[in-house]
Amino acid sequence: MSDVITTTVIVATIASGIRLATPFLLASLGEAIGQRSGVLNLGVDGVMLLGAFASYYVVLETESIWLGVMTGILTGLLMGLFYAIITVPLRAEQGVSGIGIYLFGLGMSDLLFQKLVGTPLPIDQFSEWHVPLLSDIPVVGEMFFQHTPMVYIAFLLVPIIAFIINRTTFGLSIRAVGESPESADSLGVSVPKVRFATIMAGNALAGLAGAALAIELGIFQQNLTNAMGFIAIALVYFGAWRAPGVMAGSLVFGMVGAIVLQAKTLGLIPRSASDIAAMAPAVITILALIIVANRFRQPAALTKPYVRGD
Amino acid sequence: MNTKYIKQLGISAVMAMSVGFASSSHAEGMKVAIIAPSASNDLAFTQSIVDAVNVLKDEYKLEIAITDGTFVVDDAAAAIRAYAKQGYDVVIAHGSQYGGSLKEIAPDFPETAFTWGTSADTFGLPNVSSYEAKSNEGGYVMGVMAGAMTKSNVIGVVGPIEVGDAKLYVDGFVDGVEASNADAKVNVNYIGSFGDVALSAEAGKAHIANGADVMTGTAQMVVGAVGAARSENVAWFGTQANQTKLGKKIVVASQVYKWEVVLRTIFDDAKAGKLGGEMHEITLANGGLVMEFNDDYSLDADAKAAGEAAVAGIIAGDIKLGE
Amino acid sequence: MNSVSASIQSDRQPMLEMRGITKRFPGVIANDNVSFDVLPGEVHTLLGENGAGKSTLMKILYGLYQPDEGDVLINGEKVSLQSPSDAIDHRIGMIHQHFMLVSSLTVAENVALGLSSTRGPITDLKQVAKKIKSLSDRYGLHVDPDAYIWQLAVGERQRVEIIKALYRDVQLLVLDEPTAVLTPQEVDDFFVILREMTSDGRGLIFISHKMNEVMELSDRISVLRLGRLVGTTTPQETTREALAQMMVGREVDNTREERPATIGRTALSINRLSVGGDRGVDALIDFSLDVQQGEIVGLAGVSGNGQRELAEAISGLRPIKSGSISLFHDGNPKPIGGLGPKAVREAGLSFVPEERMRDGAIGEFSVADNMVLHNHHSTRFSRGGFLNFGEIHRHSQKLVDDFQVKTPSIDTPAKNLSGGNIQKMIIARELDSDPEVLIAAQPTRGVDIGAAEYIHARLVAARNAGTAILVISEDLDEVMLLADRIAVICQGRMMGVVDRIDASREQLGLMMAGVTD
Repeated sequence: MSDVITTTVIVATIASGIRLATPFLLASLGEAIGQRSGVLNLGVDGVMLLGAFASYYVVLETESIWLGVMTGILTGLLMGLFYAIITVPLRAEQGVSGIGIYLFGLGMSDLLFQKLVGTPLPIDQFSEWHVPLLSDIPVVGEMFFQHTPMVYIAFLLVPIIAFIINRTTFGLSIRAVGESPESADSLGVSVPKVRFATIMAGNALAGLAGAALAIELGIFQQNLTNAMGFIAIALVYFGAWRAPGVMAGSLVFGMVGAIVLQAKTLGLIPRSASDIAAMAPAVITILALIIVANRFRQPAALTKPYVRGD
Repeated sequence: MNTKYIKQLGISAVMAMSVGFASSSHAEGMKVAIIAPSASNDLAFTQSIVDAVNVLKDEYKLEIAITDGTFVVDDAAAAIRAYAKQGYDVVIAHGSQYGGSLKEIAPDFPETAFTWGTSADTFGLPNVSSYEAKSNEGGYVMGVMAGAMTKSNVIGVVGPIEVGDAKLYVDGFVDGVEASNADAKVNVNYIGSFGDVALSAEAGKAHIANGADVMTGTAQMVVGAVGAARSENVAWFGTQANQTKLGKKIVVASQVYKWEVVLRTIFDDAKAGKLGGEMHEITLANGGLVMEFNDDYSLDADAKAAGEAAVAGIIAGDIKLGE
Repeated sequence: MNSVSASIQSDRQPMLEMRGITKRFPGVIANDNVSFDVLPGEVHTLLGENGAGKSTLMKILYGLYQPDEGDVLINGEKVSLQSPSDAIDHRIGMIHQHFMLVSSLTVAENVALGLSSTRGPITDLKQVAKKIKSLSDRYGLHVDPDAYIWQLAVGERQRVEIIKALYRDVQLLVLDEPTAVLTPQEVDDFFVILREMTSDGRGLIFISHKMNEVMELSDRISVLRLGRLVGTTTPQETTREALAQMMVGREVDNTREERPATIGRTALSINRLSVGGDRGVDALIDFSLDVQQGEIVGLAGVSGNGQRELAEAISGLRPIKSGSISLFHDGNPKPIGGLGPKAVREAGLSFVPEERMRDGAIGEFSVADNMVLHNHHSTRFSRGGFLNFGEIHRHSQKLVDDFQVKTPSIDTPAKNLSGGNIQKMIIARELDSDPEVLIAAQPTRGVDIGAAEYIHARLVAARNAGTAILVISEDLDEVMLLADRIAVICQGRMMGVVDRIDASREQLGLMMAGVTD
């Protein structure tokens, strides 16, 4: 074994796991913010697809990666605005409207792709950015500090979002609105304002996740996300609605995927077990979810529209 | 593309209506419908059949309807039945997963010619034909070239699930490498998905991290692996369609499916009243499989010569490929 | 009738005036031209039955509802209260009957919620905690700023609510039935805090239906009935009986005919029962209690001390951990612990649940269907799986008549009935089977006075007929009115049983607080 599993292989596997985790992390951070304020968004995958296509198309036309990233975020914001309008003032049932958003994103991203692009053409991809000094550390530098910018952005968002949720007055309002909107309302916190903000921020992150995916892969095609957004929702439960937990979940999912891939590449997993092994990330995540699930309680007002005076 | 385009989102009822809309009839020619699992321009499996039908469009005065993206077999079955009802002359079910549905539907429409692939099975029904690509032939040829090109002696393959056309192609490729370069190691990775582009990209990167300097792969998620090859400047062999567009600097050659070779037979038979019963194949010999080289790629002359020799050998029958 | 004119003639300007408030909901006038005011430093009580319009009036004051007619004036100026933040801006605070606290947050976080921070966007919980400390020292409101709400007992949570109001320097505070969750001793402490607040010049609106508290605390009392203001008076000018009469609109008999219990054999015996709770802590610990034929035993205690779990364990809805529950037939014990609701009923137990709309009745079902919910499968009401509608209707109509259930017809969905009539319907069903043992949990909570009187009378009648009755109630007045013997529960433990003749509120209050001698 040890002559097969070299340092190079380990470094490559961990770096691969981090890359695989990144779009999940961005999307599930966004979902977590929304859920902390009591709003479930099952449409993440659809928003990711629209963000992915929008950014792909802009990069294809302008050759500007960062313009593409901004477009992905903007797409998410617009979808968020739409979702916020139907779920907050109009109080639509969140499960069904989320699925609606998903189907809309799935169909619309493909339709636009067919109409505007047609045959998939590659676009510029992110280039790696080596963190000064840190990337020179042997082994560790290669694992963690030689990635594309989107990886750093995603992981930096973890402490930032944790700080906003736990240490700011706005974060306090988010937590209160997700647990007991009537209490927050009775103290003058505007439940609709908080929920609009969290839904739009969450969807912006889903759009960013889509952009990160499309630009990382340098391509778009129908259903590019392959249901990543739904896994991102599961990872929110895994991560107990907390940014570090969500990060841990994304990393477990990404790492298991990377390890399985690497093991298959090296022939450590026999060809006959290949398809079963491909399920490992999902299975391990579900098992972990079962272990974690009972320790934490979901936000008490999750999926419940708030009506003043009831 | 001037094909009538039908997008369907999985609601059979809506789809049946749009089918009706698409089939305003012309007298002389034939009405042909395609039902396929992925997008019409996937630069892979689905595009190969769409391109073939378009090639024959003028010659046979075809009226064409396409329902693509039907990963869900039930949706495909509804579409197959709807097209048959609409009086289409030939219904092409382009996906090995559609066999079960076709077996049930075809006897209800004895006047309609059904064909499907890739498969060798016609269920003994008089109005069902099938078609297959001997994709191991092109796989073998590209394997021979890959073996000749590699400097690291590591070659990576990214596949979906080890079945059907993908397995045939990959096995042929591995045999070809072995024939031309016994020292080269081929790492084959079936990632377990036809749709996971991100995972296919990481599989490509894993190959590269393990030293691969030539790669190939098959199925629609393979664009991810091509992207990995592109960013690391690793040579790529494509199959099912010409993939040069995905990477002008790295794509060496593609095995292209010319289904028009078998479709021509199927259409002629249908006109003559023979609606099925036969199994058709595209091969290097009958011109259904074609090696298309990327002119922008400066391929080593020896490697190219080895490839051309392999093509000639297969056509002449000097090189025998196992199933 | 008493004088209904406000007798405090003051030249002080009211801090709050509500003038001619009218609020209509579909089919109901919740407030009909109600006028109400509060002077600085006074406690003005709002008295009325459920549905009299107290909550609506206060929700208008707090910006949760907009009035259809009428004006609200703060310190003489007309204001528009569109939302709670408008109310907060005018230094109005409200302590709701169901606390408005976020249980997953700490005390300091709950207090800081909605306020701006001295550190801009970042919370300043240390500052908040410091100020909470100084407020709690000043008013005697002891609570740990860093504790999570879910860790706090009910009384502590109420202190947090008061701190929230004081922290915002609320000048006018609405207290909606604040004593319902407190022991009598806690009520005394609570009143001390309230007086401290009025001595600062703050005005309090006190909502309650407990007459002795109202008489003790109020400066003025306004009574609402059916959405209208019946009158305003003072404790000096009125009596408890007169107030009750104003509330109900007729004379109320709140005395009990003294008739000694004819105690028979033991009918229900609970022996060293332990039962798990929802939060991981055992809800009942080593709990023992006997109830004899022909007596009413009242179980008193502060809300959330194991009463609900006891009722569920007896009725077969909650598994028991150890100990036993037995019913007796001709002196022979039959253990019923853990048998499940159906077997327990068949053993001769009837049950009036606390959550009547959740566990006692099905709102969508007709009155008739609800009347046979428990025994529709009996041979009397069904044959071979088919319901005998004729018999069901005859039976239901008889019960509706006997128990004075006010309903347009027996086919009316139960949810359309008032709380009192739903409860009468359930009591009718449960007493109809002549049970050996009846468990009645909070039998008159949220029920109007008239219905409560009637329910009490039926329970006493059943007792006189020999049924063993356990009344579980958080209303000490009710327990003292009904029970022959009074048992007290605190934190899942039996604190002791006293005869009603010997019981004093003070003694019971101490037991409810967990103090044993």
